[in-house]
Amino acid sequence: MLTKKGKYGLKALAALSHQPHGTLMGVAELAQANAIPKKFLDAILADLRNAGFVRSKKGKLGGYGLARPPAEIMIGHVVRVLDGPLAPIPCASRTRYVPCDDCDVATCQVRHLMLDVRNAVAEVLDKTSLSQMAALGGADMLEQKLPI
Amino acid sequence: MSGKSIIIIGGGASGVLLAAHLLRSADPDLRVTLIEKQGQFGQGLAYSALHRNHRVNVPARGMSAFADDPDHFWRWLASREPGKHASSWTFVPRRVYGAYLESVLRDAGASMPGRLRVLVEEVEALHERPDGVEVLLANGSRLTADQAVLAVGHETQPARGKGLAVRAGSSRDTPLDPDAPVMILGSGLSMVDAWVSLAGGQHRGPIMVVSRNGLVPRGHHDVPPVSIDAADVPFGTSLTYLTAWFRDLVADTIAQGGDWRSVVDGLRPYNQRLWQSWPERERRQFLRHVRPWWNIHRHRLPPDLHQGLVGAIANGQVELVAAEFVGIESRDGGVRATIRPRGTSGRQVVDVARVYDCGGVSVDIRASGNPVIRQLVQSGAARPDAMSIGMDVSEDCALIAADGSVSQRVRVVGPLTRGRFFEIEAVPDIRLQCASLAKALT
Repeated sequence: MLTKKGKYGLKALAALSHQPHGTLMGVAELAQANAIPKKFLDAILADLRNAGFVRSKKGKLGGYGLARPPAEIMIGHVVRVLDGPLAPIPCASRTRYVPCDDCDVATCQVRHLMLDVRNAVAEVLDKTSLSQMAALGGADMLEQKLPI
Repeated sequence: MSGKSIIIIGGGASGVLLAAHLLRSADPDLRVTLIEKQGQFGQGLAYSALHRNHRVNVPARGMSAFADDPDHFWRWLASREPGKHASSWTFVPRRVYGAYLESVLRDAGASMPGRLRVLVEEVEALHERPDGVEVLLANGSRLTADQAVLAVGHETQPARGKGLAVRAGSSRDTPLDPDAPVMILGSGLSMVDAWVSLAGGQHRGPIMVVSRNGLVPRGHHDVPPVSIDAADVPFGTSLTYLTAWFRDLVADTIAQGGDWRSVVDGLRPYNQRLWQSWPERERRQFLRHVRPWWNIHRHRLPPDLHQGLVGAIANGQVELVAAEFVGIESRDGGVRATIRPRGTSGRQVVDVARVYDCGGVSVDIRASGNPVIRQLVQSGAARPDAMSIGMDVSEDCALIAADGSVSQRVRVVGPLTRGRFFEIEAVPDIRLQCASLAKALT
Protein backbone atom coordinates (compact mmCIF):
# COMPACT_ATOMS: atom_id res chain seq x y z
CA MET A 1 0.00 0.00 0.00
CA LEU A 2 2.86 2.42 0.62
CA THR A 3 3.98 3.51 -2.83
CA LYS A 4 7.46 4.59 -3.79
CA LYS A 5 6.21 8.15 -3.53
CA GLY A 6 5.16 7.64 0.06
CA LYS A 7 8.34 5.89 0.98
CA TYR A 8 10.60 8.50 -0.64
CA GLY A 9 8.65 11.29 1.01
CA LEU A 10 9.04 9.74 4.45
CA LYS A 11 12.77 9.17 3.89
CA ALA A 12 13.21 12.78 2.83
CA LEU A 13 11.33 14.03 5.88
CA ALA A 14 13.41 11.81 8.16
CA ALA A 15 16.57 13.25 6.61
CA LEU A 16 15.26 16.81 7.08
CA SER A 17 14.39 16.07 10.70
CA HIS A 18 18.08 15.40 11.43
CA GLN A 19 19.02 18.87 10.19
CA PRO A 20 19.56 21.55 12.82
CA HIS A 21 16.39 23.63 13.22
CA GLY A 22 16.17 26.45 10.72
CA THR A 23 18.72 25.10 8.24
CA LEU A 24 17.68 24.15 4.72
CA MET A 25 18.86 21.24 2.62
CA GLY A 26 19.19 21.36 -1.15
CA VAL A 27 17.08 18.97 -3.20
CA ALA A 28 20.11 17.54 -5.04
CA GLU A 29 21.84 16.71 -1.78
CA LEU A 30 18.66 15.27 -0.28
CA ALA A 31 18.08 13.16 -3.40
CA GLN A 32 21.60 11.81 -3.54
CA ALA A 33 21.89 11.01 0.16
CA ASN A 34 18.67 8.99 0.07
CA ALA A 35 18.97 7.47 -3.38
CA ILE A 36 15.81 9.17 -4.68
CA PRO A 37 15.50 10.36 -8.31
CA LYS A 38 15.73 14.15 -8.08
CA LYS A 39 12.79 14.97 -10.37
CA PHE A 40 10.54 12.66 -8.41
CA LEU A 41 11.72 14.21 -5.15
CA ASP A 42 10.93 17.70 -6.51
CA ALA A 43 7.33 16.67 -7.07
CA ILE A 44 7.09 14.97 -3.67
CA LEU A 45 8.48 18.00 -1.84
CA ALA A 46 6.04 20.27 -3.67
CA ASP A 47 3.15 18.15 -2.36
CA LEU A 48 4.58 18.19 1.15
CA ARG A 49 4.97 21.94 1.01
CA ASN A 50 1.44 22.43 -0.22
CA ALA A 51 0.20 20.35 2.72
CA GLY A 52 2.23 22.39 5.20
CA PHE A 53 4.83 19.83 6.28
CA VAL A 54 7.91 21.43 4.70
CA ARG A 55 8.90 24.95 3.75
CA SER A 56 11.23 26.00 1.00
CA LYS A 57 13.38 28.87 -0.09
CA LYS A 58 14.52 29.54 -3.61
CA GLY A 59 17.96 30.62 -4.72
CA LYS A 60 21.55 29.65 -4.14
CA LEU A 61 21.16 29.24 -0.40
CA GLY A 62 17.71 27.79 -0.81
CA GLY A 63 16.38 24.35 -0.17
CA TYR A 64 13.87 22.54 2.04
CA GLY A 65 13.34 22.33 5.77
CA LEU A 66 10.59 21.06 8.05
CA ALA A 67 7.78 23.55 8.56
CA ARG A 68 6.93 22.10 11.95
CA PRO A 69 8.85 20.33 14.73
CA PRO A 70 9.27 16.62 13.82
CA ALA A 71 7.52 15.58 17.03
CA GLU A 72 4.34 17.25 15.71
CA ILE A 73 4.38 15.70 12.25
CA MET A 74 2.47 12.42 12.28
CA ILE A 75 3.44 9.76 9.75
CA GLY A 76 -0.18 8.92 8.98
CA HIS A 77 -0.87 12.54 8.10
CA VAL A 78 2.04 12.58 5.63
CA VAL A 79 1.10 9.27 4.02
CA ARG A 80 -2.47 10.45 3.39
CA VAL A 81 -1.10 13.43 1.49
CA LEU A 82 1.33 11.42 -0.61
CA ASP A 83 -0.57 8.18 -1.14
CA GLY A 84 -4.22 9.04 -0.47
CA PRO A 85 -6.51 7.62 2.17
CA LEU A 86 -4.42 4.60 3.20
CA ALA A 87 -6.44 2.15 1.14
CA PRO A 88 -4.82 -1.28 0.78
CA ILE A 89 -6.96 -1.90 -2.31
CA PRO A 90 -8.62 0.84 -4.39
CA CYS A 91 -12.17 0.06 -3.28
CA ALA A 92 -11.31 0.23 0.43
CA SER A 93 -11.88 3.95 0.83
CA ARG A 94 -14.94 6.00 1.71
CA THR A 95 -14.00 9.25 0.04
CA ARG A 96 -11.76 8.05 -2.81
CA TYR A 97 -13.65 4.91 -3.56
CA VAL A 98 -12.78 3.19 -6.84
CA PRO A 99 -15.07 0.24 -7.62
CA CYS A 100 -13.75 -3.17 -8.63
CA ASP A 101 -15.43 -4.68 -11.71
CA ASP A 102 -15.87 -8.09 -10.11
CA CYS A 103 -17.89 -7.40 -6.98
CA ASP A 104 -20.54 -5.48 -5.10
CA VAL A 105 -19.55 -2.78 -2.59
CA ALA A 106 -21.97 -3.68 0.13
CA THR A 107 -21.41 -7.41 0.17
CA CYS A 108 -17.74 -7.87 -0.77
CA GLN A 109 -16.13 -9.48 2.27
CA VAL A 110 -12.64 -8.63 1.08
CA ARG A 111 -13.50 -4.94 0.96
CA HIS A 112 -14.96 -5.01 4.47
CA LEU A 113 -11.82 -6.63 5.83
CA MET A 114 -9.59 -4.18 3.99
CA LEU A 115 -11.54 -1.24 5.44
CA ASP A 116 -10.75 -2.62 8.89
CA VAL A 117 -7.12 -3.10 7.87
CA ARG A 118 -6.75 0.49 6.78
CA ASN A 119 -8.30 1.81 9.97
CA ALA A 120 -5.81 -0.27 11.93
CA VAL A 121 -2.98 1.05 9.76
CA ALA A 122 -4.17 4.63 10.28
CA GLU A 123 -4.29 4.01 14.02
CA VAL A 124 -0.59 3.04 14.08
CA LEU A 125 0.63 5.67 11.65
CA ASP A 126 -1.34 8.50 13.29
CA LYS A 127 0.26 7.74 16.64
CA THR A 128 3.80 7.74 15.23
CA SER A 129 5.56 11.06 14.85
CA LEU A 130 8.32 11.87 12.43
CA SER A 131 10.79 12.14 15.29
CA GLN A 132 9.80 8.67 16.50
CA MET A 133 10.20 7.22 13.02
CA ALA A 134 13.49 9.02 12.44
CA ALA A 135 14.87 7.44 15.63
CA LEU A 136 14.16 3.95 14.30
CA GLY A 137 16.64 2.00 12.20
CA GLY A 138 19.96 3.47 11.20
CA ALA A 139 23.40 2.11 11.99
CA ASP A 140 22.76 1.70 15.75
CA MET A 141 19.77 -0.52 15.15
CA LEU A 142 21.77 -2.66 12.74
CA GLU A 143 24.28 -3.47 15.46
CA GLN A 144 21.58 -4.27 17.96
CA LYS A 145 19.81 -6.64 15.66
CA LEU A 146 22.90 -8.38 14.35
CA PRO A 147 25.23 -8.82 17.29
CA ILE A 148 28.62 -9.96 16.14
CA MET B 1 -8.91 9.03 39.95
CA SER B 2 -11.79 8.44 42.32
CA GLY B 3 -13.78 11.40 43.62
CA LYS B 4 -16.52 10.41 46.00
CA SER B 5 -17.90 13.92 46.33
CA ILE B 6 -18.15 16.14 43.30
CA ILE B 7 -19.38 19.71 43.02
CA ILE B 8 -20.66 20.84 39.63
CA ILE B 9 -20.71 24.61 39.21
CA GLY B 10 -23.38 25.54 36.67
CA GLY B 11 -26.74 23.84 36.16
CA GLY B 12 -27.24 24.51 32.47
CA ALA B 13 -27.12 21.81 29.81
CA SER B 14 -23.47 20.89 30.45
CA GLY B 15 -23.89 20.67 34.23
CA VAL B 16 -27.09 18.62 34.04
CA LEU B 17 -25.64 16.25 31.44
CA LEU B 18 -22.58 15.70 33.60
CA ALA B 19 -24.67 15.11 36.74
CA ALA B 20 -26.83 12.61 34.87
CA HIS B 21 -23.77 10.74 33.62
CA LEU B 22 -22.11 10.73 37.04
CA LEU B 23 -25.25 9.39 38.71
CA ARG B 24 -25.31 6.42 36.35
CA SER B 25 -22.48 5.09 38.52
CA ALA B 26 -23.50 2.24 40.83
CA ASP B 27 -21.37 3.64 43.65
CA PRO B 28 -23.72 4.27 46.62
CA ASP B 29 -21.18 6.62 48.24
CA LEU B 30 -21.03 9.03 45.33
CA ARG B 31 -22.24 12.53 46.20
CA VAL B 32 -22.99 15.09 43.49
CA THR B 33 -23.81 18.71 44.30
CA LEU B 34 -25.09 20.81 41.43
CA ILE B 35 -25.04 24.56 41.95
CA GLU B 36 -26.96 26.92 39.71
CA LYS B 37 -27.56 30.58 40.37
CA GLN B 38 -30.73 30.97 38.29
CA GLY B 39 -32.81 28.34 39.99
CA GLN B 40 -33.84 26.59 36.81
CA PHE B 41 -31.84 23.50 36.14
CA GLY B 42 -31.13 22.53 32.57
CA GLN B 43 -32.09 26.00 31.47
CA GLY B 44 -28.86 27.84 31.03
CA LEU B 45 -28.31 30.46 28.40
CA ALA B 46 -29.29 28.06 25.64
CA TYR B 47 -32.41 26.36 26.96
CA SER B 48 -34.22 29.05 28.89
CA ALA B 49 -35.39 30.86 25.76
CA LEU B 50 -39.05 31.72 25.97
CA HIS B 51 -40.24 32.23 22.43
CA ARG B 52 -41.55 29.11 20.70
CA ASN B 53 -39.38 29.93 17.71
CA HIS B 54 -36.26 29.92 19.81
CA ARG B 55 -35.59 26.43 18.64
CA VAL B 56 -33.06 23.69 19.07
CA ASN B 57 -30.96 23.78 15.93
CA VAL B 58 -30.33 20.04 15.99
CA PRO B 59 -33.10 17.57 15.06
CA ALA B 60 -34.66 15.78 18.03
CA ARG B 61 -33.06 12.50 17.04
CA GLY B 62 -29.62 13.98 17.75
CA MET B 63 -30.47 15.47 21.14
CA SER B 64 -30.56 12.54 23.56
CA ALA B 65 -28.75 13.22 26.82
CA PHE B 66 -26.98 9.90 26.39
CA ALA B 67 -24.96 8.94 23.32
CA ASP B 68 -25.47 5.24 24.13
CA ASP B 69 -29.26 5.70 24.19
CA PRO B 70 -29.80 7.90 21.12
CA ASP B 71 -33.62 7.76 21.24
CA HIS B 72 -33.90 8.90 24.85
CA PHE B 73 -35.03 12.42 24.00
CA TRP B 74 -37.27 11.29 21.19
CA ARG B 75 -39.10 8.83 23.49
CA TRP B 76 -39.54 11.57 26.10
CA LEU B 77 -40.83 13.99 23.45
CA ALA B 78 -43.18 11.48 21.85
CA SER B 79 -44.74 10.62 25.21
CA ARG B 80 -45.05 14.26 26.26
CA GLU B 81 -46.47 15.49 22.96
CA PRO B 82 -48.05 12.38 21.42
CA GLY B 83 -48.85 12.71 17.73
CA LYS B 84 -47.39 16.18 17.46
CA HIS B 85 -44.19 15.26 15.66
CA ALA B 86 -44.30 13.25 12.46
CA SER B 87 -40.74 12.05 12.89
CA SER B 88 -37.66 12.55 15.03
CA TRP B 89 -36.42 15.00 12.38
CA THR B 90 -38.11 17.85 14.20
CA PHE B 91 -36.74 21.02 15.77
CA VAL B 92 -38.40 21.64 19.11
CA PRO B 93 -38.59 24.91 21.04
CA ARG B 94 -35.56 25.22 23.29
CA ARG B 95 -37.72 25.59 26.40
CA VAL B 96 -39.06 22.09 25.66
CA TYR B 97 -35.51 20.82 25.63
CA GLY B 98 -34.89 22.67 28.90
CA ALA B 99 -37.82 20.77 30.40
CA TYR B 100 -36.33 17.52 29.10
CA LEU B 101 -33.01 18.26 30.79
CA GLU B 102 -34.87 19.02 34.00
CA SER B 103 -36.56 15.64 33.81
CA VAL B 104 -33.23 13.94 33.06
CA LEU B 105 -31.86 15.50 36.23
CA ARG B 106 -34.92 14.51 38.25
CA ASP B 107 -34.64 10.90 37.07
CA ALA B 108 -30.93 10.83 37.78
CA GLY B 109 -31.54 12.08 41.31
CA ALA B 110 -34.38 9.64 41.92
CA SER B 111 -32.43 6.57 40.77
CA MET B 112 -30.58 6.40 44.09
CA PRO B 113 -31.99 8.94 46.56
CA GLY B 114 -29.59 11.02 48.60
CA ARG B 115 -26.76 11.12 46.10
CA LEU B 116 -27.77 14.31 44.28
CA ARG B 117 -28.09 17.68 45.97
CA VAL B 118 -29.08 20.79 44.04
CA LEU B 119 -28.39 24.29 45.31
CA VAL B 120 -29.65 27.60 44.01
CA GLU B 121 -26.75 29.90 44.76
CA GLU B 122 -24.09 31.91 43.03
CA VAL B 123 -20.55 30.61 43.34
CA GLU B 124 -18.06 33.35 44.10
CA ALA B 125 -14.81 31.47 44.44
CA LEU B 126 -13.26 28.04 44.04
CA HIS B 127 -10.07 27.02 45.83
CA GLU B 128 -8.09 23.86 45.32
CA ARG B 129 -6.54 22.50 48.52
CA PRO B 130 -4.25 19.49 48.85
CA ASP B 131 -7.08 17.44 50.34
CA GLY B 132 -10.02 18.72 48.30
CA VAL B 133 -11.79 21.69 46.80
CA GLU B 134 -13.55 24.50 48.61
CA VAL B 135 -16.38 26.46 47.06
CA LEU B 136 -17.41 29.83 48.43
CA LEU B 137 -21.04 30.81 47.84
CA ALA B 138 -22.48 34.31 47.59
CA ASN B 139 -24.46 33.72 50.79
CA GLY B 140 -21.17 33.35 52.62
CA SER B 141 -21.26 29.60 53.19
CA ARG B 142 -18.56 27.18 52.12
CA LEU B 143 -18.77 23.73 50.60
CA THR B 144 -16.02 21.18 50.29
CA ALA B 145 -15.67 18.18 48.02
CA ASP B 146 -13.08 15.90 46.48
CA GLN B 147 -13.50 17.27 42.97
CA ALA B 148 -15.10 20.26 41.28
CA VAL B 149 -16.24 20.68 37.69
CA LEU B 150 -16.87 24.04 36.08
CA ALA B 151 -19.87 23.79 33.78
CA VAL B 152 -20.52 27.47 33.45
CA GLY B 153 -21.15 27.37 29.74
CA HIS B 154 -21.75 30.56 27.86
CA GLU B 155 -20.80 34.07 28.74
CA THR B 156 -23.73 36.35 29.41
CA GLN B 157 -22.00 39.72 29.25
CA PRO B 158 -21.96 41.58 25.95
CA ALA B 159 -18.36 41.52 24.75
CA ARG B 160 -18.65 44.80 22.89
CA GLY B 161 -20.37 48.09 23.16
CA LYS B 162 -19.09 49.60 26.43
CA GLY B 163 -22.15 48.54 28.39
CA LEU B 164 -24.46 50.20 25.84
CA ALA B 165 -25.03 47.12 23.70
CA VAL B 166 -27.59 44.67 25.05
CA ARG B 167 -27.89 40.89 24.98
CA ALA B 168 -31.20 39.85 23.49
CA GLY B 169 -33.46 38.39 26.15
CA SER B 170 -31.47 39.82 29.06
CA SER B 171 -33.03 41.98 31.77
CA ARG B 172 -31.80 45.07 29.92
CA ASP B 173 -33.70 44.05 26.81
CA THR B 174 -36.71 46.19 27.73
CA PRO B 175 -39.66 46.80 25.37
CA LEU B 176 -38.92 49.00 22.35
CA ASP B 177 -40.91 51.27 20.09
CA PRO B 178 -42.05 48.70 17.47
CA ASP B 179 -41.16 51.05 14.62
CA ALA B 180 -37.71 51.99 15.86
CA PRO B 181 -34.62 50.93 13.91
CA VAL B 182 -32.29 48.51 15.70
CA MET B 183 -28.88 47.05 14.98
CA ILE B 184 -27.72 43.51 15.65
CA LEU B 185 -23.99 42.78 15.85
CA GLY B 186 -23.20 39.30 14.61
CA SER B 187 -25.06 37.22 12.06
CA GLY B 188 -25.01 33.71 13.53
CA LEU B 189 -27.59 31.73 15.45
CA SER B 190 -27.73 34.28 18.29
CA MET B 191 -28.69 36.92 15.74
CA VAL B 192 -31.50 34.65 14.57
CA ASP B 193 -32.70 34.42 18.18
CA ALA B 194 -32.74 38.19 18.46
CA TRP B 195 -34.55 38.48 15.15
CA VAL B 196 -37.12 35.90 16.31
CA SER B 197 -37.72 37.90 19.51
CA LEU B 198 -38.14 41.12 17.56
CA ALA B 199 -40.26 39.72 14.74
CA GLY B 200 -42.30 37.57 17.13
CA GLY B 201 -42.77 40.64 19.34
CA GLN B 202 -44.35 42.44 16.36
CA HIS B 203 -41.35 44.67 15.78
CA ARG B 204 -41.88 46.50 12.49
CA GLY B 205 -38.83 48.77 12.38
CA PRO B 206 -35.77 48.02 10.27
CA ILE B 207 -33.21 45.57 11.64
CA MET B 208 -29.65 46.13 10.49
CA VAL B 209 -27.49 43.04 10.93
CA VAL B 210 -23.80 43.91 11.00
CA SER B 211 -21.12 41.25 10.69
CA ARG B 212 -17.66 40.97 9.20
CA ASN B 213 -18.80 38.99 6.17
CA GLY B 214 -22.53 39.57 6.01
CA LEU B 215 -23.26 35.84 5.97
CA VAL B 216 -26.25 34.13 7.57
CA PRO B 217 -26.70 30.51 8.65
CA ARG B 218 -27.96 28.02 6.08
CA GLY B 219 -30.97 25.80 6.60
CA HIS B 220 -31.19 22.11 7.43
CA HIS B 221 -32.25 19.39 4.99
CA ASP B 222 -32.99 15.86 6.08
CA VAL B 223 -30.03 14.15 4.41
CA PRO B 224 -27.84 11.39 5.83
CA PRO B 225 -24.18 12.14 6.61
CA VAL B 226 -21.65 10.68 4.19
CA SER B 227 -19.64 7.82 5.60
CA ILE B 228 -16.10 8.96 6.39
CA ASP B 229 -13.42 6.98 8.23
CA ALA B 230 -10.54 8.53 10.13
CA ALA B 231 -8.27 7.09 7.44
CA ASP B 232 -9.97 9.35 4.88
CA VAL B 233 -9.43 12.62 6.72
CA PRO B 234 -6.28 14.66 6.00
CA PHE B 235 -5.35 15.48 9.59
CA GLY B 236 -2.44 17.78 10.33
CA THR B 237 -2.29 19.44 6.92
CA SER B 238 -2.37 23.11 6.05
CA LEU B 239 -5.71 24.87 5.91
CA THR B 240 -5.31 25.33 2.16
CA TYR B 241 -4.86 21.59 1.71
CA LEU B 242 -7.78 20.70 3.95
CA THR B 243 -10.20 23.17 2.35
CA ALA B 244 -9.24 21.90 -1.11
CA TRP B 245 -9.89 18.32 0.06
CA PHE B 246 -13.19 19.37 1.59
CA ARG B 247 -14.35 21.22 -1.52
CA ASP B 248 -13.43 18.22 -3.70
CA LEU B 249 -15.43 15.92 -1.47
CA VAL B 250 -18.42 18.27 -1.56
CA ALA B 251 -18.17 18.50 -5.37
CA ASP B 252 -17.98 14.68 -5.67
CA THR B 253 -20.93 14.26 -3.32
CA ILE B 254 -23.05 16.77 -5.22
CA ALA B 255 -22.03 15.20 -8.55
CA GLN B 256 -23.42 11.91 -7.24
CA GLY B 257 -26.71 13.57 -6.39
CA GLY B 258 -25.85 14.28 -2.77
CA ASP B 259 -25.91 17.39 -0.60
CA TRP B 260 -23.08 19.46 0.92
CA ARG B 261 -24.74 19.07 4.32
CA SER B 262 -23.96 15.36 4.20
CA VAL B 263 -20.25 16.16 3.99
CA VAL B 264 -20.33 18.72 6.81
CA ASP B 265 -22.20 16.23 9.01
CA GLY B 266 -20.04 13.28 7.94
CA LEU B 267 -16.92 15.13 9.01
CA ARG B 268 -18.42 16.09 12.36
CA PRO B 269 -17.02 13.12 14.35
CA TYR B 270 -13.51 14.19 13.33
CA ASN B 271 -13.76 17.94 13.97
CA GLN B 272 -12.11 17.75 17.39
CA ARG B 273 -9.27 15.62 16.03
CA LEU B 274 -8.79 17.91 13.05
CA TRP B 275 -8.57 20.95 15.30
CA GLN B 276 -6.08 19.23 17.57
CA SER B 277 -3.96 18.05 14.64
CA TRP B 278 -3.25 21.63 13.58
CA PRO B 279 -0.38 23.77 14.76
CA GLU B 280 -1.33 27.02 16.45
CA ARG B 281 -0.81 28.99 13.25
CA GLU B 282 -3.37 26.89 11.39
CA ARG B 283 -5.89 27.25 14.21
CA ARG B 284 -5.53 31.01 14.18
CA GLN B 285 -5.94 31.12 10.42
CA PHE B 286 -9.01 28.96 10.68
CA LEU B 287 -10.59 31.24 13.27
CA ARG B 288 -9.76 34.32 11.27
CA HIS B 289 -10.51 33.26 7.71
CA VAL B 290 -12.52 30.06 7.59
CA ARG B 291 -14.72 30.10 10.66
CA PRO B 292 -17.37 32.52 9.34
CA TRP B 293 -17.97 30.25 6.33
CA TRP B 294 -17.64 27.09 8.37
CA ASN B 295 -20.18 28.31 10.94
CA ILE B 296 -22.97 29.10 8.48
CA HIS B 297 -22.70 25.59 7.02
CA ARG B 298 -22.07 23.73 10.26
CA HIS B 299 -24.55 25.55 12.57
CA ARG B 300 -27.73 25.46 10.52
CA LEU B 301 -31.31 26.57 11.07
CA PRO B 302 -34.55 24.59 11.05
CA PRO B 303 -35.83 24.94 7.45
CA ASP B 304 -38.92 27.00 8.31
CA LEU B 305 -36.93 29.51 10.36
CA HIS B 306 -34.38 29.76 7.57
CA GLN B 307 -37.15 30.50 5.09
CA GLY B 308 -38.56 33.14 7.40
CA LEU B 309 -35.18 34.80 7.71
CA VAL B 310 -34.58 34.73 3.97
CA GLY B 311 -38.03 36.28 3.53
CA ALA B 312 -37.28 39.05 6.03
CA ILE B 313 -34.07 39.82 4.15
CA ALA B 314 -35.91 39.81 0.82
CA ASN B 315 -38.66 42.15 2.02
CA GLY B 316 -36.09 44.50 3.52
CA GLN B 317 -36.97 44.25 7.18
CA VAL B 318 -33.59 42.68 7.81
CA GLU B 319 -30.65 44.37 6.13
CA LEU B 320 -27.36 42.47 6.02
CA VAL B 321 -24.31 44.70 6.20
CA ALA B 322 -20.75 43.42 5.89
CA ALA B 323 -18.88 45.79 8.14
CA GLU B 324 -16.70 46.02 11.17
CA PHE B 325 -18.20 47.42 14.36
CA VAL B 326 -16.15 50.44 15.42
CA GLY B 327 -17.92 51.95 18.39
CA ILE B 328 -21.04 53.08 20.10
CA GLU B 329 -22.13 56.11 22.06
CA SER B 330 -25.20 57.14 23.94
CA ARG B 331 -27.66 59.49 22.27
CA ASP B 332 -31.05 60.92 23.13
CA GLY B 333 -33.56 58.08 23.06
CA GLY B 334 -31.09 55.54 21.72
CA VAL B 335 -27.54 54.93 20.66
CA ARG B 336 -25.26 55.97 17.81
CA ALA B 337 -23.20 53.15 16.33
CA THR B 338 -20.20 53.56 14.09
CA ILE B 339 -19.32 50.87 11.58
CA ARG B 340 -16.72 50.48 8.83
CA PRO B 341 -18.22 48.78 5.77
CA ARG B 342 -16.06 45.99 4.39
CA GLY B 343 -13.57 46.96 1.74
CA THR B 344 -13.71 50.65 2.61
CA SER B 345 -11.83 52.89 4.99
CA GLY B 346 -14.82 55.17 5.49
CA ARG B 347 -16.94 55.14 8.58
CA GLN B 348 -20.67 55.08 8.68
CA VAL B 349 -22.72 56.40 11.57
CA VAL B 350 -26.06 54.76 12.29
CA ASP B 351 -28.60 56.01 14.84
CA VAL B 352 -30.72 53.25 16.28
CA ALA B 353 -32.92 52.67 19.30
CA ARG B 354 -30.78 49.75 20.46
CA VAL B 355 -27.73 47.70 19.55
CA TYR B 356 -27.93 44.01 20.32
CA ASP B 357 -24.63 42.20 20.73
CA CYS B 358 -25.05 38.76 19.23
CA GLY B 359 -21.36 38.29 18.60
CA GLY B 360 -19.66 34.95 18.76
CA VAL B 361 -19.80 32.77 21.82
CA SER B 362 -16.02 32.68 22.04
CA VAL B 363 -14.93 34.70 25.01
CA ASP B 364 -11.94 36.20 26.67
CA ILE B 365 -12.37 34.68 30.12
CA ARG B 366 -10.34 37.50 31.69
CA ALA B 367 -13.34 39.75 31.13
CA SER B 368 -15.91 37.18 32.23
CA GLY B 369 -19.15 38.28 33.84
CA ASN B 370 -18.99 35.22 36.08
CA PRO B 371 -17.35 35.91 39.46
CA VAL B 372 -15.87 32.44 39.90
CA ILE B 373 -14.20 32.58 36.47
CA ARG B 374 -12.76 35.99 37.24
CA GLN B 375 -11.51 34.77 40.62
CA LEU B 376 -9.84 31.71 39.09
CA VAL B 377 -8.11 33.82 36.44
CA GLN B 378 -7.04 36.52 38.89
CA SER B 379 -5.66 34.01 41.39
CA GLY B 380 -3.68 32.29 38.64
CA ALA B 381 -5.58 29.01 38.96
CA ALA B 382 -6.91 29.36 35.41
CA ARG B 383 -5.81 30.97 32.18
CA PRO B 384 -7.23 31.52 28.71
CA ASP B 385 -6.27 28.95 26.07
CA ALA B 386 -3.73 29.95 23.43
CA MET B 387 -6.45 31.34 21.12
CA SER B 388 -8.24 33.16 23.95
CA ILE B 389 -11.55 31.60 23.00
CA GLY B 390 -12.13 29.76 26.27
CA MET B 391 -10.34 28.24 29.23
CA ASP B 392 -7.10 26.27 28.98
CA VAL B 393 -7.66 22.61 29.84
CA SER B 394 -5.77 19.36 29.42
CA GLU B 395 -6.87 16.54 27.12
CA ASP B 396 -8.90 15.09 30.01
CA CYS B 397 -10.53 18.45 30.78
CA ALA B 398 -8.41 19.32 33.83
CA LEU B 399 -7.99 23.02 34.50
CA ILE B 400 -4.56 24.42 33.58
CA ALA B 401 -3.17 27.17 35.81
CA ALA B 402 -1.34 30.32 34.75
CA ASP B 403 2.00 28.57 35.44
CA GLY B 404 1.03 25.63 33.22
CA SER B 405 0.40 23.16 36.05
CA VAL B 406 -2.53 20.81 35.60
CA SER B 407 -5.16 20.69 38.32
CA GLN B 408 -5.72 17.41 40.14
CA ARG B 409 -9.16 18.36 41.38
CA VAL B 410 -10.79 20.90 39.07
CA ARG B 411 -12.16 20.06 35.62
CA VAL B 412 -14.05 22.03 33.02
CA VAL B 413 -16.85 20.77 30.80
CA GLY B 414 -18.81 22.23 27.89
CA PRO B 415 -18.26 25.18 25.57
CA LEU B 416 -15.58 26.77 27.77
CA THR B 417 -13.21 23.99 26.68
CA ARG B 418 -13.45 25.04 23.03
CA GLY B 419 -9.80 26.10 22.91
CA ARG B 420 -8.78 22.45 23.16
CA PHE B 421 -11.73 20.73 21.47
CA PHE B 422 -13.30 23.43 19.28
CA GLU B 423 -16.33 21.29 18.34
CA ILE B 424 -17.84 21.39 21.83
CA GLU B 425 -20.80 23.74 21.52
CA ALA B 426 -23.70 21.36 21.09
CA VAL B 427 -25.31 18.52 23.02
CA PRO B 428 -24.09 15.69 20.71
CA ASP B 429 -20.49 16.58 21.61
CA ILE B 430 -21.02 17.71 25.19
CA ARG B 431 -22.77 14.46 26.12
CA LEU B 432 -19.71 12.49 24.93
CA GLN B 433 -17.42 14.75 26.92
CA CYS B 434 -19.63 14.26 29.99
CA ALA B 435 -19.61 10.48 29.53
CA SER B 436 -15.83 10.27 29.47
CA LEU B 437 -15.45 12.74 32.31
CA ALA B 438 -17.95 10.80 34.42
CA LYS B 439 -15.96 7.65 33.75
CA ALA B 440 -12.75 9.35 34.89
CA LEU B 441 -14.35 10.80 38.02
CA THR B 442 -16.22 7.77 39.37
